[in-house]
Amino acid sequence: MRLGKPVERSDDVPKRIRNEAEIVLGQRKLFQRFLPGLVHAAIFWGFLVLFPTILIAMIGAVDKDATLPWLGHQGWFALMVDVFAVLVLCGVIAAFVIRKVQRPARFEGSHLGEADLILALIAGIVTTLLLWHASRIALGMNEWPASWSPVSDELSGLFADNGTTEVLERVFVWAHVLIILTFLAYLPHSKHLHIATAAINVYFGRTGPGGRIEPLRFDVPEEEMRFGAGTVPDLTWKQMFDTFSCTECGRCQDVCPAFATGKELSPKLLIMALRDQVFEEGPALVRSAEGFEPQPLVPNAVTDNVVWDCVTCGACVRECPVSIEHVDHIIDLRRHLVMMDARFPSESEQMLRDVERASNPWGKPQTERADWAEELGVRVLEPGDPAPEVLYWVGCAASFDERARTAAQSTAKLLKAAGVDFAILGPRESCTGDPARRMGNEYLFQAHAEQNVATLNDAGVTKIVASCPHCFNTLGNEYSDFGGRYEVVHHSELLAELVRDGRLATSAGEQPITYHDSCYLARHNDVIADPREIVEAVGKPVEMERSGKRTFCCGAGGAHMWMEERAGLINEKRAAEAAATGAETLAVACPFCTVMLDDGVRANGDELRVADVSTLLAERLPPEATGTT
Amino acid sequence: MTVLVLVEPDGGAVDELSLQALALARELGEPLEALLVGPGGAEAAGGLGAHGVVRAHVADDERLGAYAPGAWARCVTDLAATLEPSAIVAPGSNRGNEVLAHVGARLGLPFAANCTHVQPGAPLELTRVRWGGSLLEEARLHGSPALLSSAPHMVAAGTVNGADAPQVDRFAPALDDADLAVRVSEHVEAVTSGISLAEAKVVVSGGRGVGSAEGFAILEELAEQLNAAVGCSRVVTSAGWRPHTDQVGQTGTKVSPDLYIACGISGATQHIAGCKGAKKILAINSDAEAPILMSADYAVIGDLTEIVPAITAELRKAQAS
Amino acid sequence: MVLTADEQALETRHLGFTISPHEECGVEEAVRIVEQQGGEVTVLTLGPPEAEEQIRETLAIGADRGILLATDGEEWDPEATAAAIVEQARDYNLIIFGNESADSGNYQVGIRVAYALGRPVAIGLKGLTVADGRVRCEQEVSGGRDIYDLPLPAVVSVLEGINLPRYPSVPAKLRARQKPVETITPQPDEARLEKVRLVVPAGQGKQAEILGEGAGAAPAVVNVMRDLGVA
Repeated sequence: MRLGKPVERSDDVPKRIRNEAEIVLGQRKLFQRFLPGLVHAAIFWGFLVLFPTILIAMIGAVDKDATLPWLGHQGWFALMVDVFAVLVLCGVIAAFVIRKVQRPARFEGSHLGEADLILALIAGIVTTLLLWHASRIALGMNEWPASWSPVSDELSGLFADNGTTEVLERVFVWAHVLIILTFLAYLPHSKHLHIATAAINVYFGRTGPGGRIEPLRFDVPEEEMRFGAGTVPDLTWKQMFDTFSCTECGRCQDVCPAFATGKELSPKLLIMALRDQVFEEGPALVRSAEGFEPQPLVPNAVTDNVVWDCVTCGACVRECPVSIEHVDHIIDLRRHLVMMDARFPSESEQMLRDVERASNPWGKPQTERADWAEELGVRVLEPGDPAPEVLYWVGCAASFDERARTAAQSTAKLLKAAGVDFAILGPRESCTGDPARRMGNEYLFQAHAEQNVATLNDAGVTKIVASCPHCFNTLGNEYSDFGGRYEVVHHSELLAELVRDGRLATSAGEQPITYHDSCYLARHNDVIADPREIVEAVGKPVEMERSGKRTFCCGAGGAHMWMEERAGLINEKRAAEAAATGAETLAVACPFCTVMLDDGVRANGDELRVADVSTLLAERLPPEATGTT
Repeated sequence: MTVLVLVEPDGGAVDELSLQALALARELGEPLEALLVGPGGAEAAGGLGAHGVVRAHVADDERLGAYAPGAWARCVTDLAATLEPSAIVAPGSNRGNEVLAHVGARLGLPFAANCTHVQPGAPLELTRVRWGGSLLEEARLHGSPALLSSAPHMVAAGTVNGADAPQVDRFAPALDDADLAVRVSEHVEAVTSGISLAEAKVVVSGGRGVGSAEGFAILEELAEQLNAAVGCSRVVTSAGWRPHTDQVGQTGTKVSPDLYIACGISGATQHIAGCKGAKKILAINSDAEAPILMSADYAVIGDLTEIVPAITAELRKAQAS
Repeated sequence: MVLTADEQALETRHLGFTISPHEECGVEEAVRIVEQQGGEVTVLTLGPPEAEEQIRETLAIGADRGILLATDGEEWDPEATAAAIVEQARDYNLIIFGNESADSGNYQVGIRVAYALGRPVAIGLKGLTVADGRVRCEQEVSGGRDIYDLPLPAVVSVLEGINLPRYPSVPAKLRARQKPVETITPQPDEARLEKVRLVVPAGQGKQAEILGEGAGAAPAVVNVMRDLGVA
């Protein structure tokens, strides 16, 4: 832990305390899967309640007539102990049934043997506890009123008040204590270490927006020029703690789109592999062992493919009950590979060069950036012009990709129809830098961030509406690190508001429409309801199973829009899910999703129209409202 | 005033670009005289009458067997000293541009490469090509003789009716060692057979619409007719119909041919990234709404199994005549 | 002393608003030669002050120093460009040009510089091998490659595709900021190839022109192919 690089995680204490309460005490994330959540909650709460009994047992082992003062005599406590001991036992049995009979896929790659041992030890702990209590009641040695502990009381019927029971009572208490000690000794060597680390990891988890990545500093002296995570000492202390907290539950693996389409990446295996290398090299590093060179994490702990397969959708982070932040690990691994080793998929090199030289990942001339707005009468903000009420940040995709343009055109028409005072930057708008940042090229990202912030600040912009969720995320959550503080809304939020306020006329429709949540909108930024309001206003919504914060990525995130996938395709999988709803239209709110899902639908050979919510709304506008100039 | 044109022999005749250079030169005046250097020069000279040449000069020296830009330039400068032309024109091929650049350096004269139009005068007014054709420059050339090359495939070759075969003169250029210092010493034959995807001038590419590995046969026939390479989209390689080396796209080969013919390819973003370097894209697709049409210059809508063979047949007909 | 007597390669280009791919490959080639054989790489550009940024990019690839021949932004014709470069290039063993500057397509500058310095020159190269005071040059022609064998010092110009330029690491970019770049302001002579104006040719639309439907479109297709010079 001392080896780890620093990272700021002591801000917003009230939120951290709330997270502790909800996630740890309340087991909120575990309950995202109800039944396994219940099983774990039973065992976890059981342990909280039963904690004092450890002390009681140790006292009682040494002095058979002693117990904890006051608590040891309380009937209500004895009742709680009984109840929770049984619950724990039920939980353990249920856990065994899940693991041995149901065998969920998420356990692929986990160390199941360790888990079996732990569960057996837990069963042993509560069984010996109940039997000890039972034998004490049989001998009349109970310090608490026996009627308050019905289970132990029933069990006491197994024992006669005699010498054998006296021996058994000692046996049970010592067995109980020994099993506990074994358990504690085994803890640090197994994934059950999470007992010690999880609560702490949750406390120090992210409090800020999910889509924000921690920036790096580049103004460092030559000796300190190491960027990203190349070896174990490059990891932050939080990242190391993440690896100590992993229980190998596999919930992250289950929801990962890369894993689901046959790629090498499994977030669970990633964290486990990093943990293994940390544990292997840690001791030598802490000792500053003579001549010890830590090995590069890539390819020793994880392969290059694992690092590049990730689409940064964040589904893993959302699922993780112990607040492991897998995406942060991936980004830091990428940062080292890209910025230090220049080692990344060759097809992405062109995109990075285009962002650097042409200021947009399409490599098209910036002079053409406002071409989509020809004949729409959209105001282009020139230097020195008064700032508009809202700046419409179009984004590179809508500016240059033919399919994504319709969303920008529709949005512009709608904003005009509603009488919103807006303008675009046109050629002065350059890439927000999101694809560069998600690829790990933080240096290139920061160059763009600084340039864009200067442009926006000079223009006096205070409110921005963006159609691309990646731009929306970067402008709203990440530019504040570079001096850019703006009120940023997604176009679906603004359009929904305009519809609610009656500034946009619309007509209801009968068409079944299914809406796909973009990861950067729903999961990273909680924009879920507004796009649905728009869908409801123009058609009949049909939900896919994986929606809202559980949405399944279109496959373009993490700079994958510029990479070709090698195995089964994420976008085709998601397009198939959409087609299976029976809807005629697939509504989206993101230019990447538009292109990826349209490609996916065509590849699957389905008849599904993919359209942005703004386009669906614009089609409903009465003709006179669109009046183009 | 005499106009001298450097003409490149090709087999027993003269190559297409040289004919275009002759057409450009005819704008400048007459008489039009040609210079042929290297093997095959004398044979090719005869056919030049139809392009307006009245006298053809063939440089004769056994050391002109292997290309040496300095030696070729020497032939030009020696002849120019005798003829005193108002202009010297070459085809805008690699060799033509190189030779005239050498001539310009030797004579201390400016040289305008890749011209599409010229207007005689002093100074000469011309239009030339930049950015591979996306931009034109109008310029004036202050120098005599004017040194120009013609932009490939931007000037129509044309012919002159009723002209006689030219008078053919041989001459020996005064070559010295310096002229021959830079000379092709070796020629290495290309190892791979067939045309490489990355370097082909035309690529015929197929996607899901082709239907099967066998379906590519008609594309291969068209490719053969055009001396083109065959490519495919990622869907095709995933399906195992063609090997990965044929794949055009982000993870395949990036191509920049003069013409990219996309048959039955819908136009996924990652595929377009591989072929957007093409000068022109022709899409053949049954779906008029396919995304590829938004990146294509030309399109034919319909069934590719009918269209592709029809094009091949039309090409054969045109080449026969 | 800035210039050493070792093998040195000087990378030259002009009008660098962005490094043209031929020139970038030239820089990479120069850096590789020096990595293998020792010496230093100097990069030279003729252009407005903003071109220093492109010099820094080449320094990040691995060049050691830069020279900026600063202009006021106006283009120089090939003869003037060559003359300005000649002044700076005398002391180098190998001068590498990018075959045609992507914007003006002039081809000639390398050849003019070579004549002024009295050195052999080969252009349009896809392969370069320096050894024993000579350079083996490979030029792609139809059917294979022509080889030229030149003694050093020499001048060459290379084509994109001779190598794959490396993507510089961030520390290399940061270090490039510290490498020396000298600015000189040469004066051009009267341009003898005088640019009058630039014109965008008509017909650069974005819609696909539908040539026809079905097999009946074949003649139209063949016409287009002829116009493009591929049939």
